[in-house]
Amino acid sequence: MQQLLIIIKKEIIIALREKLVLVLGGIMVLLLGIALYAGFLSYQQQQTIITQKQAEKREEWLHQGDKHPHIAAHYGTFVFKPKTVLSLFDFGLDAFTGTSIYLEAHHQHEFMFRPAQDHSSMIRFGELSATLVLKVLIPLLIIFLSFNAYTRERESGTLKLLISQGISFGTLSWGKILAYCTILTIILSPFLIGLLLFSWVGNPSQAMPDETLRLVLLTLAYGVYLFLFISFSVWVSLRSSTGRNALLILLSSWIFLTILMPKTVVNLSKSLYTLPSMREFKEAIEQGKVYGLDGKTPRSERIASLEKRLLEEYKVDSVHQLPFNFEGVKMQDGEEYTHKVYDHHFGKIKETFHRQNRLSSFASLINPFLSVQNLSMAFSGTDMYTFLHFEEQVETYRREMIRKMNNDMAENSKYGEFFEYAAGRDLWEELEDFSYQPPTVGELLQQYRLELASLFIWTALFLLLINYTNRKMKPLHG
Amino acid sequence: MDKSIKTLLRYEWTSFVRNKFQLFMLAVIMLFGVYAIYSGQSEINAQRKTIQAVTQIEQEEFSQYQASFDEELRSLEEEELHDIASRPSFAWFRHGYHAIIPPHDYAALAIGQRDLFRYYYRLTGMSLHYQLFENELANPVNLMVGNFDLSFVLVYLFPLLIIAFCYGLYSSEKENGTLALLQIQAVSIRRIILVRLVFYFAIITSLAMLISWLGLITSGPPFKTENLVPAMAWTAGVLAYFSFWFALMFLIASLRKSSSFNAITAIACWLLFLIVIPAILNVVVTTKYPLSSTALAGLTRRTGLEDENDEAEVREVIMEYLAHKPQLAGSDSLINDNMMAKGYAAFTSLKDINSQKLVDQYNEQVANRTSWTSRYHWLSPAVNMQEVLAQIAETDLHTFLRFQDALADFHGDITDFYFSRLFWNRPILLEDYHNRPVFQMTETSNRWSSVGLGLGKILLAAALTFFLGFYLFMIDV
Repeated sequence: MQQLLIIIKKEIIIALREKLVLVLGGIMVLLLGIALYAGFLSYQQQQTIITQKQAEKREEWLHQGDKHPHIAAHYGTFVFKPKTVLSLFDFGLDAFTGTSIYLEAHHQHEFMFRPAQDHSSMIRFGELSATLVLKVLIPLLIIFLSFNAYTRERESGTLKLLISQGISFGTLSWGKILAYCTILTIILSPFLIGLLLFSWVGNPSQAMPDETLRLVLLTLAYGVYLFLFISFSVWVSLRSSTGRNALLILLSSWIFLTILMPKTVVNLSKSLYTLPSMREFKEAIEQGKVYGLDGKTPRSERIASLEKRLLEEYKVDSVHQLPFNFEGVKMQDGEEYTHKVYDHHFGKIKETFHRQNRLSSFASLINPFLSVQNLSMAFSGTDMYTFLHFEEQVETYRREMIRKMNNDMAENSKYGEFFEYAAGRDLWEELEDFSYQPPTVGELLQQYRLELASLFIWTALFLLLINYTNRKMKPLHG
Repeated sequence: MDKSIKTLLRYEWTSFVRNKFQLFMLAVIMLFGVYAIYSGQSEINAQRKTIQAVTQIEQEEFSQYQASFDEELRSLEEEELHDIASRPSFAWFRHGYHAIIPPHDYAALAIGQRDLFRYYYRLTGMSLHYQLFENELANPVNLMVGNFDLSFVLVYLFPLLIIAFCYGLYSSEKENGTLALLQIQAVSIRRIILVRLVFYFAIITSLAMLISWLGLITSGPPFKTENLVPAMAWTAGVLAYFSFWFALMFLIASLRKSSSFNAITAIACWLLFLIVIPAILNVVVTTKYPLSSTALAGLTRRTGLEDENDEAEVREVIMEYLAHKPQLAGSDSLINDNMMAKGYAAFTSLKDINSQKLVDQYNEQVANRTSWTSRYHWLSPAVNMQEVLAQIAETDLHTFLRFQDALADFHGDITDFYFSRLFWNRPILLEDYHNRPVFQMTETSNRWSSVGLGLGKILLAAALTFFLGFYLFMIDV
């Protein structure tokens, strides 16, 4: 234990002597600061506008005046995608998912406006966020800090001296690893405090109820990821004959893990599972609506069978005699069929999305960078799962809106009347304001099991590897 | 060529072919290059297929309309179809025209913003803003990660190869103990380093040229008139960008530090130019020019007249619209006929006119953003290069903004075509189908000047870096 502490202390002193590393460390801290501040600023800007606009649209809905419920269902309303408070940490997909949607009867609109469309092609280089620094840049700092961990001792001959003192490779390795962990903790601690402060300030209304848990998980995921990089670097240094070799191997791995592989995997997934174009997608939905999902039950047939069923059920011989407005029921029935068609086709799209993204989940078993990338977006609420979850809730809300309108029409208006009937504010108020409940952490963990497994496996592997190699190393090598 | 240089080159060649690892790296990047070309082409081919499909849909739609003129109308459906074909009060919102921006042959090599923007629209005479904002289906994860196209290989990966080849330009001699031997030769050490630099430049650039021309030739014949200038510009771009990176490696070598120091510094520069600078610029521009599309979203709401049965209201709307379009106005009796259709047409057009200011403001903010960022492009030759390649392949933001403008004009042509018939109560005749509006997009003149400017900036950065390195090598340590 005593030995371990001495080694840690010595390693820290050595590291602090490296001017280049110090400068780079300083830059990282600065970048993290900028990233956090800019993230917070853009979160606040967007969230203010979105909250305000959402309230505006609600007012528009409530004050739309007296009109027929079906016209109201066409008038519809809008939903804007809220920014999650932790998006200040990880923008995730925010620039590439649509941000607003128009809710209307008969048509499932898609989300419009991807923020990246308002940028030049430079946006594809990525935006500076705290995650970018943590998952791409800090590993590089780790490499610079530790590629020499063993090779320097070896090149200057101090390794032999150390071993002859009776220090085991195990103690030496752990000393080095813990020393680098300490340095990183010191560098990152102001950032962590800043993150806590900002996310606390940014979440006064508790829009994200399990924020604390998410923050803890984020810290853990990144902690494990950075620890993996440190032990990997020290291990490579232990196995390399010269510092130059160690550096080459580490830099190549870094490029492969953080730049090349993520891009290749995604591209591969895109060519393996292709998406239809929007035109084809919409066309298929239109066809389904007109000719039926099986292509054999056209709309007129569906209406006729509904009419027949209702007439039999109520034992009357014309729709005029039904105790409700048949038009309303017909409308709702048609709407529900549309939902079925949409769910069928959109389900296929979602399946494709899922398959595409699944590939990167599997690849994360090889590459912890992918695990931490996916987990980080998930805990920040800017991942694909959360987006689809949001989309689903919006669609449920839309269906609720239409159902309310159609039911009111069926109950309160007469068959054949249209402009004669008008509903008012009471009905508009029956539709509650839309509020989004993000998925719980438990749900997210379920979704990202592979990524979690990857982090566990790699940690276990490295713990074993370091101990095993240490036992096998012969001091003569020094 | 003098004899010493020949000798130097011969030795460089010998050590180059003996270094298996370097050869391996070249092979790997070659593979990535070929994959990138394939992947870019399959993306663009998918777009071409979609374009073909939508063009076909349009052709079918209109040939149906045309056919309905000369047939003996029997069934109800046929009559309905003929109504849509010949009566402007149906046709103006049913006839769908596709505005398409076909990919440039070289879009496959630099996909740029092409996966993010829509490249085809179906337009009818309805409010333009109803039709403008729908997105193409895409997996946001794929959009975020970006495309693995040739521009990625050239802009991101080749600099890494250059670093791997050149970080020991000077230091390797020192570390191998051969420096002293070189110093006692008649040839100056600077000259030796320069020859080595040129040698690697030749090797790596030839490889890049090989891959680039492979891409250019397989994506579209480079000697076709519309491809020749882009192909030349592409070649020049690669030369300029690589010159910069070699100059940078020369500058780093001129500091005469250890190999590890060189590698760390070079990678740090790579990081700075490819990740840090663009990331900072992006986040600054997002917060400096905040944009919220929420205001535009409201435009997509399909409202109608308050009360369609109220004739006075309908007439008022028509009169308001005709005040904007006096050429459509006729006598009062013209309005009375088919008033509902006219009222609705006037209503959606008025909506466009009234919301144009909002859209303009939004576009102006986007323009502010791009002009701000383009002012800082010189900070990173990589950003500059990416932009140049996107401009060459017509996949940059500017092209899509021009497309939007052309869309608006086209929509104007469509409404003119139908409204002149609707408001003057004239049917659509069979011969009118030959004068249907056609989508056009004019070529801009300043495309090549901005490509030239971008290349100039990269070359300037390369020259400055090189001369700084040259100067530092002159100073004796």
